[in-house]
Amino acid sequence: MATAALRTSEPDPGSASAARRTPTGLRLAVVGKGGAGKSVVSATLARTLARRGHRVLALDSDTLPGLSISIGADVPDDAPLNAAAVRNDKGRWHLVKGVGAARAVQRYATDAPDGVRLLQIGKTDRRGLAPNRASHQAFYKVIHRLDDVRSLDDWVILGDLPAGPRQAAYDWAPYAQRFLLVVEPTWQSMLTARRIIRITRTMRDDREFSLVVNKATADEDADRVQEFLGVPLLGIVPADDAVRASERAGVALLDAAPDAPATRAIERLAATLDAGNIDRI
Amino acid sequence: MKIVVAGKGGVGKTTVSGTIARALARAGHDVLALDADTNPMLGVSLGVGPEETDLLVAVRQGLETGETEHEKSTEGFVERFGRDAPDGVRLVVASRIERANPGCMCCGVSPEGLLTELDSAGKIIIGDLEAGIGTVMRLQEGHADVVLVVAQPTAKSLNIARRAVELTDDRGGRVIVVANRVRNDEDLAVIREAVGDCEMVVVPEEPAIAEADRDGRAAIDVDSDSPGVRVLVELADRLAGMAVPA
Repeated sequence: MATAALRTSEPDPGSASAARRTPTGLRLAVVGKGGAGKSVVSATLARTLARRGHRVLALDSDTLPGLSISIGADVPDDAPLNAAAVRNDKGRWHLVKGVGAARAVQRYATDAPDGVRLLQIGKTDRRGLAPNRASHQAFYKVIHRLDDVRSLDDWVILGDLPAGPRQAAYDWAPYAQRFLLVVEPTWQSMLTARRIIRITRTMRDDREFSLVVNKATADEDADRVQEFLGVPLLGIVPADDAVRASERAGVALLDAAPDAPATRAIERLAATLDAGNIDRI
Repeated sequence: MKIVVAGKGGVGKTTVSGTIARALARAGHDVLALDADTNPMLGVSLGVGPEETDLLVAVRQGLETGETEHEKSTEGFVERFGRDAPDGVRLVVASRIERANPGCMCCGVSPEGLLTELDSAGKIIIGDLEAGIGTVMRLQEGHADVVLVVAQPTAKSLNIARRAVELTDDRGGRVIVVANRVRNDEDLAVIREAVGDCEMVVVPEEPAIAEADRDGRAAIDVDSDSPGVRVLVELADRLAGMAVPA
């Protein structure tokens, strides 16, 4: 009988449920130009969603430390995820036998504040990228299998991508159902966002885009950016000296300035995403 | 003479590159501005305009789709992937393309190789590098006479700036830190602490530069006499002085 009970929880290969499942948790990738505020938005969103009761997996695919600083987590010299990939004699990388996406997350994600789990690729250091190459290969394979991990179905998965369109071009956020474009009201930032939208649409045309206008100083800033990009506005984060101060100190905005206008604005973004309000924007 | 500009994304590399290129050209130098960023924006800071800048990028993307032929010669490269910018600056976009041909110079895989190939006799080449320290790690003697490391008073930017300075020092290269968007003594102190006692110029937080960023113009066109722009024009003078043979 136990066997039968187990079977009912498995998808029937002949039924519609065997098709690609839709996770119930938010699947987000945060993208934009360097310096636009991606990491601050990602980190504050991830921790706020965790405080709201979600289980959150934050994905850091940047070879430079950004998310880790903004979320308040350590960066080990060697990424734990290095243990998840090996190279065969032909020079090809594979996940270590017995390690799938679920186990990689379980074993190699580290703890960040508010219970967020953080999976990181290794950073560039004086030795270059080579010592952490395995973690990059493992990360890429893991993120391409995340949709198959049932135990993560109701988790929020939020990726902070490196600056610019490059990782979008290489499909480094296949899990993301929604791309949050963090854009400053400057031409360089707007052009970057447009390049990312174009390149993402050529690869995955079913993805949604939402706009976060950051460092806004005037009401018309958001209108201008939104008009240029033509994607729905999720929210506006004001220019705020509290962000500048926390970035100078290298500490998480949520810890340094929990009541600052920018912090509150990002918390509202989390509430909007969370409430399913997203369907109405 | 060859100058490269490095730093974290968003710290002002492109503004520094564009403003110095324009200032050098105004002073009568023959200037080649090389955009080696994977997200090329140098045209905007040179005053070419945002949409014109994107058109140049589209030419490079044609290499991916086969609409644009690859180019083997340096002269052809400067001609086909470039355009003239104000004050007589020649802009060339050398961003890395995704499906590069092995060893093909025009694919932008190796900005440092390109710096070697391009003839800098009698001219000044200024290269706006990809964000981060990837290219700086690969620089060898002869690739660049001066490395400008742009830094803002943020922990993330200084993490990168410090490493770029160390890497350049280690190979005996000349480095100048451009401390950007400095508002007060505390800002300056964190930058100084991170990069040590190397040569440094300080660009104050500058409304004219902010206006240029917002409007997609060259800072030197918005207000060439503003304090922030003047620091960069003076830096251009100093750099030009280094180029004169003793």
